[in-house]
Amino acid sequence: MSKNILEVRGLTTKYVTRFHEDVYAVDHVSLSIEEGKSLGIAGESGCGKSTLALSLMGYYFAPLHYMSGDIVVDGKNISNMDPDDVRKTVLGTEIAYIPQAAMNALNPTRRIRKFVEDVILAHDPKADRKQIYEMAKARFAELGLPADVLDRHPVELSGGMKQRTVIAISTILKPKVLIADEPSSALDVTSQKMVIKMLRDLMDKGYIRAMIFITHELPLLYNVTDDIMVMYAGQIVEKGNAKDMVFNPIHPYSHGLMRSIIVPEEGTRNHKLSAIPGTPPNLKKPPQGCRFADRCKYVVPQCRYNALPMIEAGEGRAYRCGHSVQHLREEYQNDDE
Amino acid sequence: MKNTIRQVFHSPKFVVGFCIFMAILLTMLIYPFINPGNPLKMIGLGTFAKPGTYVSLYDSVTTETSIFKLPDADAKRLDKFLSSEDRVSMVNWFTAVGIDISTLDITDTNALLSLWKANYDPALKPKGMTKAQRNYYNRLNDSLNAASTSDTLTVTEVDASSGETVEKAKIGVNDYVNVGNVANVKTLPLGTDNFGRDTLKELVAACGTSIEIGMIAGAVATIIGLLLGLLAGYLGGMVDDLIMFLTNIFTVIPSFVLLILINYSINQDQRGATTVALVIGLTSWVWTARSVRSQVISLRNRDHVNLSRLSGHSLPRIILTDILPYIASYVMMAFILQVSSGILAEAQLSLLGLGPKTTEVPTLGLMMNWAMLYSAHLNGSWWAYFPVIMVIAFISFSLNLMNTGLDQVFNPTLRD
Amino acid sequence: MGFTLPRSRFLILGGKAMKGYRKYFGKKILWFVITFIVALLLNFILPRLMPGDPVAAVTAKQAQGLSEASAVKAIYDNYAREFGTNKPMTEQFVTYMTNLFHGDMGTSFSQYPRKVSDIIGNAIGWTISLQLPAILIGWLLGNLLGALAAYIRKGFDKVLMPLTLFFSSIPAFGMAVILLVVFAINLKVAPISGGYGFDMIPNLSWNFVLSVIQHYQLPFWSIVIISIGGQAVGMRSMSIYELNADYVKYARFLGIKDRKIVGYVFRNAMLPQVTGLALSLGTMVGGALVAEIIFSYPGLGTTMYQGITMADYPLISGTTLIITVMVLIATFVLDIVYGFIDPRVKAAQFD
Repeated sequence: MSKNILEVRGLTTKYVTRFHEDVYAVDHVSLSIEEGKSLGIAGESGCGKSTLALSLMGYYFAPLHYMSGDIVVDGKNISNMDPDDVRKTVLGTEIAYIPQAAMNALNPTRRIRKFVEDVILAHDPKADRKQIYEMAKARFAELGLPADVLDRHPVELSGGMKQRTVIAISTILKPKVLIADEPSSALDVTSQKMVIKMLRDLMDKGYIRAMIFITHELPLLYNVTDDIMVMYAGQIVEKGNAKDMVFNPIHPYSHGLMRSIIVPEEGTRNHKLSAIPGTPPNLKKPPQGCRFADRCKYVVPQCRYNALPMIEAGEGRAYRCGHSVQHLREEYQNDDE
Repeated sequence: MKNTIRQVFHSPKFVVGFCIFMAILLTMLIYPFINPGNPLKMIGLGTFAKPGTYVSLYDSVTTETSIFKLPDADAKRLDKFLSSEDRVSMVNWFTAVGIDISTLDITDTNALLSLWKANYDPALKPKGMTKAQRNYYNRLNDSLNAASTSDTLTVTEVDASSGETVEKAKIGVNDYVNVGNVANVKTLPLGTDNFGRDTLKELVAACGTSIEIGMIAGAVATIIGLLLGLLAGYLGGMVDDLIMFLTNIFTVIPSFVLLILINYSINQDQRGATTVALVIGLTSWVWTARSVRSQVISLRNRDHVNLSRLSGHSLPRIILTDILPYIASYVMMAFILQVSSGILAEAQLSLLGLGPKTTEVPTLGLMMNWAMLYSAHLNGSWWAYFPVIMVIAFISFSLNLMNTGLDQVFNPTLRD
Repeated sequence: MGFTLPRSRFLILGGKAMKGYRKYFGKKILWFVITFIVALLLNFILPRLMPGDPVAAVTAKQAQGLSEASAVKAIYDNYAREFGTNKPMTEQFVTYMTNLFHGDMGTSFSQYPRKVSDIIGNAIGWTISLQLPAILIGWLLGNLLGALAAYIRKGFDKVLMPLTLFFSSIPAFGMAVILLVVFAINLKVAPISGGYGFDMIPNLSWNFVLSVIQHYQLPFWSIVIISIGGQAVGMRSMSIYELNADYVKYARFLGIKDRKIVGYVFRNAMLPQVTGLALSLGTMVGGALVAEIIFSYPGLGTTMYQGITMADYPLISGTTLIITVMVLIATFVLDIVYGFIDPRVKAAQFD
């Protein structure tokens, strides 16, 4: 069994609002990724996916604050480090982040090659510019980007091109873990494919050793990631390998999510669209028990009062619900009829 | 809407600016009641009277007196005659003549004077002293002697019928008059300008006129800018090109220059305050037009506008209901800035002598003009120009603050 | 900062990219020419709209003491012919244009028989040498100050911002007068007026140069301070806006030092400031001219003022035309420079 490249135990981080209220956007999250694997994180908007990504990098910028927990990358504990150390040793080298809407992530007035230089020089001030250029050219070519991208300004590139450039730059220093936050959401289908292929290439060629893929687009996860984790209101509600998660979800929320996917096929029109009613809870005052209780079809009174830990369900699966796996499976079958 | 208003009045910058502006407006409205009359009426006959309270000497002679024996009255009286430079000169004279001054306290007027009286001899010609300097000391000595030695002053009057000089009143050295009892007392907090007008009264009136000009100019500029910006932004194409062309020309040709040329060609007599305001408005709409246009362009392709177009709404209706509400905040900010720049433009114009005609109403710029023409800044009459500058600055400042405050409310990224 | 053209840009200048710029420049040049013509028209028409006969005024001055009507009329006719006021407007315009082409802007009424171009020629040097560096330096310093305020946003900013705003609200002439009174009259460290000592004749001696420098100080610093005020506030807003941009966060995520990122931000915030300078150049020059007048500095400002007070419309016409042309040229230059420094303009050409 290969070792865990990334291990997170009980990570909790909070936002402090203008009026000094605490919002626990990431609440005791634990996860681990093995070398060469990729983890998908799914969930509604606002469930804490992006915050989790930021927290994982150890990059705390007001109003985001670290509360507790451990983050271990390739054996190195990077939790609660000094921000300057984080900048020097973690960002870009251990963990790299591709933000949402990456097309805006590039400085519109700076040439790509200059920016690449900046990134590399920030970590290795003595690097030679010519070498950097050659290396960048080679890497870009390898990843399928045309050679002249380096000499251009971001404004001259198309949306998909910019996205792939951002991915290439983020991984230029060979980070151990790459966190991609909705890397393909703003793109057309062809560009999406190119992005996914590039991420694959990066993994295959060893430029990154593990990947976290955050998205709200569920169909994508099955094709791209090895494991899937579903988040809701700041907590993980279920995790397991991709196949199981998509075809056999345990938690009611994951179940609802998977069922809401529209598959264009024969007879689709005859199915009634199913959606999960309601909205996530206010995290300023999180509910005591299950956070999904208000929207759950299978809720019983105990759900609201008992604090729920993650329950192992064998084969690397875990879920957070008061009901047993069997009970849930029965309920799902009943619904299908 | 209500929420926006609440936010606006919670913005500290806006509130401060608003208060300052309101204070100025209120003063402007209330002061004429405290001090009524034509602000351009000349009350002084000389030039540039210093700020202070002026008591009629004629009346105080005949007002009832009270007797006071104040301990330092004599010293104060003498101090008026002896400036610090004079004292130093006296010490120099003593040194030149060889008198011991080691125990002398230069601030002790009595001691200084007695030493002087005891030793001064006009006939002495101390070494190194020029004739001019000795003349100076002579004059100093004379003025010191002229300073009253007796305890009473007598005021006489020439009797109309007999032609004799008749004693009218006696003024004792300890006679004091209560200012409240004197018939004619005038307080001039800001003195008079070169024409002898009450500066403060003039300033308040000028303030009113200038703000009025600013408002008119601002309104005109905003309306023109709004119209042109809307048309250019929404209609696009040829109309846009044409309007942009016009705008560019007005940008490059300094409005300052245009104002000079236009105002110059309007004869002095026809240049009333409103005319000037109109002209300023007609030349300064450029910034508003540009700003409105860019906003409208970004609004043009929004969904609700497209929906209205698809629904077949007429152009005026679309502009009125779909676009105007969104740019209302910008228009308001633009108006405030236009008022501010209108006031400044008028001030600059008047400074050059191209402002509203000078005989009817004062404006802030006109007051500056007069002050400059009569060299107030060169002869130390600070009250003739400094308050004017400060008032202009405060009006402009308060308007700018209000604008910044509004900006922060409408653009949350700029909030502190 | 990024104001020196790096070598790569020079290479591009010679290469294919110039073609893309052609459209951009072409448009700018065309517009420059058209604006110039409009300015000419305005400068010609507007003063001549003034009622009253300036020739009569000059005649009255020259004919003082003459009682014979025919003699006065002869003088009047002479001047009318010379100034061309007895011809129809269109003919006057043609004469005006042809004269202008030869650099002749007419004869001044108030300083008769001096030629307007002569008067302006003397004054223009003083104005340019004063205003050009003053406005540029004021703009630079103002932007630096604004950038600094945006960066150090805490306490410092809360006090500095309103203070700067207040200073920028003091009108141009106000600042000039205050500086004049404080430094020249009260503290007596600077001369009160003029471009050089009253007793001096322009020459290249060290004495003269020193005197010029001394007289240069107050007008120069007035214009600088006024310009700083105007720029600082705008730059601060622009910088704050840029500091919140996505690329700032991303650069941070990649571990790039804050200092470098700050460099990005200010470079980007400066670009609209260049455009802003071009747009507000008219106002800034106006304010600078007023400062010149206050200090009786022998530049175009004072010349124009004299023209106005003496109702000398050839002089006014000439000075306003020159001022407009100067601002026009400056705006044009700025536009071109902007085309080089903003890569987004270059990109738009290839669409």
